[in-house]
Amino acid sequence: MSTALDRKPDYSAFPRLSLEEARAAAADLLAMKGARAPVEGQMLGRIERFYRQEARILDEERYEDWYDLLADDLFYWMPLRENRFRRDSRSELDPDSMAFFDESKADIAVRIGRLKSNLVWTEDPPTRHVYIVSNVEAFETGVDGEFETHHVFTQYRNRSEHDEATLFGRRRDLIRAVDDGFQIVRRLILLPQSVLLTKNLSVFF
Amino acid sequence: MKAADLVDSSFGTIGRRIFWDPAIYELELERVFARSWLFVAHESQIEEPGAFVTTYMAQDSVIVARADDGAINVFLNSCPHRGNRVCFADSGKGRAFTCNYHGWAFGLDGALKKMPKMGLYKSTPGFRMEDWGLRRARVASYKGLVFATFCEEAPSLEQWLGDFRWYLDAVLDVEDGGTEFLPGGATRSVMRCNWKFPADNFVGDIYHALWTHLGGAEPTLGRHGGVIVENEGSYQVSVNGHGWEFNDSFFGNTATMGDRELLRYMRSRQEAITARLGDFRSKMWGSVASATIFPNFSFLPGYFTFRTFQPKGPTTTEIHAWTLVPKNMPDDIKDRFRRGSMRTFSPSGILEMDDGENWEHSTSANAGWVTRNQKLCYAMAPAGEVERDDLPGEVTAGQLSDANQRLFYKRWAEMMDAESWADIPTAGSDARYSEAAE
Repeated sequence: MSTALDRKPDYSAFPRLSLEEARAAAADLLAMKGARAPVEGQMLGRIERFYRQEARILDEERYEDWYDLLADDLFYWMPLRENRFRRDSRSELDPDSMAFFDESKADIAVRIGRLKSNLVWTEDPPTRHVYIVSNVEAFETGVDGEFETHHVFTQYRNRSEHDEATLFGRRRDLIRAVDDGFQIVRRLILLPQSVLLTKNLSVFF
Repeated sequence: MKAADLVDSSFGTIGRRIFWDPAIYELELERVFARSWLFVAHESQIEEPGAFVTTYMAQDSVIVARADDGAINVFLNSCPHRGNRVCFADSGKGRAFTCNYHGWAFGLDGALKKMPKMGLYKSTPGFRMEDWGLRRARVASYKGLVFATFCEEAPSLEQWLGDFRWYLDAVLDVEDGGTEFLPGGATRSVMRCNWKFPADNFVGDIYHALWTHLGGAEPTLGRHGGVIVENEGSYQVSVNGHGWEFNDSFFGNTATMGDRELLRYMRSRQEAITARLGDFRSKMWGSVASATIFPNFSFLPGYFTFRTFQPKGPTTTEIHAWTLVPKNMPDDIKDRFRRGSMRTFSPSGILEMDDGENWEHSTSANAGWVTRNQKLCYAMAPAGEVERDDLPGEVTAGQLSDANQRLFYKRWAEMMDAESWADIPTAGSDARYSEAAE
């Protein structure tokens, strides 16, 4: 259990990337194309187990445990998607553009602070979640203990009676081996929807 | 059905039917949306000739394009041949819009330019190319914001906005160089609610922040005493149904983003903005405030999120949102507003996430057969609600009241019941304020 998320913390003291560091992290994520040697065997098994565990932690709303899976130098990014003609030379995924998430670890802490306040009426009664993670691929990065991964997810939510949302997406991660597993260092989340076909993203990816 | 029978704007009651009835919605498309000036783009989105964005005017898809002569044209995104959309991109640059179905091609002004086997039409008696362009709207801008209407009878945009322009300058004209939308297109999401709930929320409902947003405000404001809204030093103003509720805190909204650099920046601008706009208006720039330009274009000072509540049926609304900043703002500060507005007022925002469920369930619960017969209460008019005649429009002191919402629905009912624009009253401009806004 994280002790960093005590009641009414001063989030300005929490880990945060500079603008330049966030830009560099975004560029690294965009360059991740699975070009290096694939990770196989036991290590791939450990990585897949990590993602299954992460999915279950999120399903169970154990946000403080999930927070501990994030590295202090986290960059967490879900860009907007725009419909553009193929001939359009602009890069669709641009770190200067508006996004759904463009976060350091401190920003995740603020979001968890909201959920922990017991004042969020729209999560009470709670939402029910099912996360499915699949198609996990892992690659070496040239740095010992750090791996590039690519995978897909389904995130299903249901609350109240008819209120439901199913989001499919693809993730690219940089993960770092730590004593008892891994930590997420960088994460790019790509939803295929250009118009988010639900009212909010009250969920972590 | 008369809309006026469903809206009592003096005491403040609203018939619940207006939030879900398909027949009322159809009439809104005709009498409210098709007769209003609707926001379509910011000039900064289409700076170069050939640049375009696509958007919606109510449920009509339109293209907003910059022509070679610099003019901004707005025209229907629907081929007059079989009706297909002619542009499927949200934004881009080009010389022509070519329909995928039979290849009819249209210019940056919407005019029909060519099609495959043109000779077949040239030899068709009575066919004239100039009759079959994409239908063009009237277009006008106010300080970077581009509006359009297909209604020939509507008054000018200047008359439509009236003296609300004087207030709008508190976000649109705080320094030389104008404003821009931050890059990356619109943040878009869907709510299963009637479009009027978000519009009336922004026009004058700060009251909800004291309860709805307790959780969202806790991480950034909890240590500083939480959400504080008082009627002391705060106002509601309304012109032609457009409304703005605000206090005199200068950066109260900005503070909820929890970024000290942004507060430092806001403070650094206070003296210059006060010199430019005067003490009263300068305080509106980033204060605890919200506004709606009738019918469905809203913004939040301080976060500088601007958004349209696009109707997609009586119980479905699409939110399209952008962040507006002064063009000459330092890049680092622009980026902080980009992330700050995203983290508060976007589908992932810690404040916007509190809102959607309220509007969705207000919409659906109002449709119950028994439920629909009890009117909704828009009556809040506290004793401190005093009128002021030294400011343009209808002004009440105290931002905690339903005054603007009553005037929003008064305007809505006037437009719904009017046979023509001649029957819709429009507030005259006071020269003191219209000249200042020029």
